[in-house]
Amino acid sequence: MSTELEERLRADMERATRDVRVPPGLALKACRHYHKRAITTRAVAAAGTAAVLTAGALSVAEVTGAFGRPAAGAQVRTTAYVISRVEHALSAPDLANMVGYTRTVYRAGVTPRPVPGGVNSLADPAAISPQSAGYEVLWAYHRSTRLSFFTASGQPVFGERITVGKGSLATTAVTYASHTWWRAQSARPAAAGSASQGCLPGGQIRLNGSANAWPDFIHSQLACGAYSVAGKQLIGGVEALKITGGSGQITLWVNPATYLPMRLDQGGLIQVSFQWLPATRANLAMLNMPVPASFHQVAPPS
Amino acid sequence: MGSDRAADLESFLAVRGDVLLRTAVLLAGSREAGEDLLQAALERLLRRWRTIEGDPEGYLRRTLYHLAADNWRQQRARRTRLRLLQPGAGAAVADGTAEVDLRDSLVRLLRQLPPRQRAAIVARYWEQLTEAESAQALGCSVGTVKSATSRGLRRLRELSESAGSAEPAIQGPARGTA
Repeated sequence: MSTELEERLRADMERATRDVRVPPGLALKACRHYHKRAITTRAVAAAGTAAVLTAGALSVAEVTGAFGRPAAGAQVRTTAYVISRVEHALSAPDLANMVGYTRTVYRAGVTPRPVPGGVNSLADPAAISPQSAGYEVLWAYHRSTRLSFFTASGQPVFGERITVGKGSLATTAVTYASHTWWRAQSARPAAAGSASQGCLPGGQIRLNGSANAWPDFIHSQLACGAYSVAGKQLIGGVEALKITGGSGQITLWVNPATYLPMRLDQGGLIQVSFQWLPATRANLAMLNMPVPASFHQVAPPS
Repeated sequence: MGSDRAADLESFLAVRGDVLLRTAVLLAGSREAGEDLLQAALERLLRRWRTIEGDPEGYLRRTLYHLAADNWRQQRARRTRLRLLQPGAGAAVADGTAEVDLRDSLVRLLRQLPPRQRAAIVARYWEQLTEAESAQALGCSVGTVKSATSRGLRRLRELSESAGSAEPAIQGPARGTA
């Protein structure tokens, strides 16, 4: 049964919307938005993880030699465009909750060793040792990173977990050949994890491991000229942006939708592929660094 | 997104778009916000396009109500300009609803209700859905529809009465039966 209020409500609703018509192009607008979102979702799923992190990043920096140079004049416009797009990508809230997964393949002769707060890598193709790394697997989420180094045949060499704290890095490392492990606190590098980094020499990559650090890093290094845009290249069906730094020694292929890296090449010595994964319980468990019961603790290297 | 899908959507909107937009305008509180709401619902429809069997209107309508009842607009931080209208005569003009005649209208007061109450009232008195159908559209229980409708009507009556001479007093009990 209707009351006066209800009757009046119906009449007012009818009157208020009598002239409402669907504007032309609404379907197209919805399609465009949908399409844009679908591209971004696919890109995040397919492209790549965060994280050559403190450790992986430092190893890249140490292997690299020369300093980056400002971009050439012809590239300024392209670089400026990319910078503006990166700023846009920085506002993406979803990045913060992605788990970074990277797989890094080393050329024969790269011998990494765990040190507090990172990894030291020696590159000497003539000196292949049993400790030479074939590949490295890295998991990163927010302030934690776990790295595992393997020989080319898949034997574990060492594993390391690094957690970024206030002004310090907590490192736990396990070396499988010697059945030893150590734990250390070390000072946090000044640039690591900072929201806005200065110009890093030699194409260095220093990140705190979280996914959303990548667009910030790319933004700051393009802006200061340490990296520059070198074109586009199709990777996995995505037309990736090619960005180079360190006098061309370091090349990053960046997803144009998310500005997260898809691939990295460091002078042919190191190739990194990136993936971004959801923060599921299983993926987060990969950040743990279990110490086998039979291993004994030793002092950390200086 | 294939162009054929866009064409299908255009055809669908050509037939049913006006009706759906009228509902969206009432749910969202203004024409601009209504178009925005309908667009958001269309995007969700596109996402599910392949899995929807039969008439997509049912899905689209449910999505409109779900989005509206879940306070969809406040979740879109970048669209804060499309905030729900505040009480006041100037508000109807300020948000771009000039084309919609809202003078002395209960629709203007409807905007002051919380999203779920507004959605329940639109479902019951605009779409003339039963309580069960409204509950399905809003994704809630029949009891929730009853209470939201009852509270919404009570609030509308209070607002209407407090409007004084501009709004004539409304008599009669609020009812929400199917």
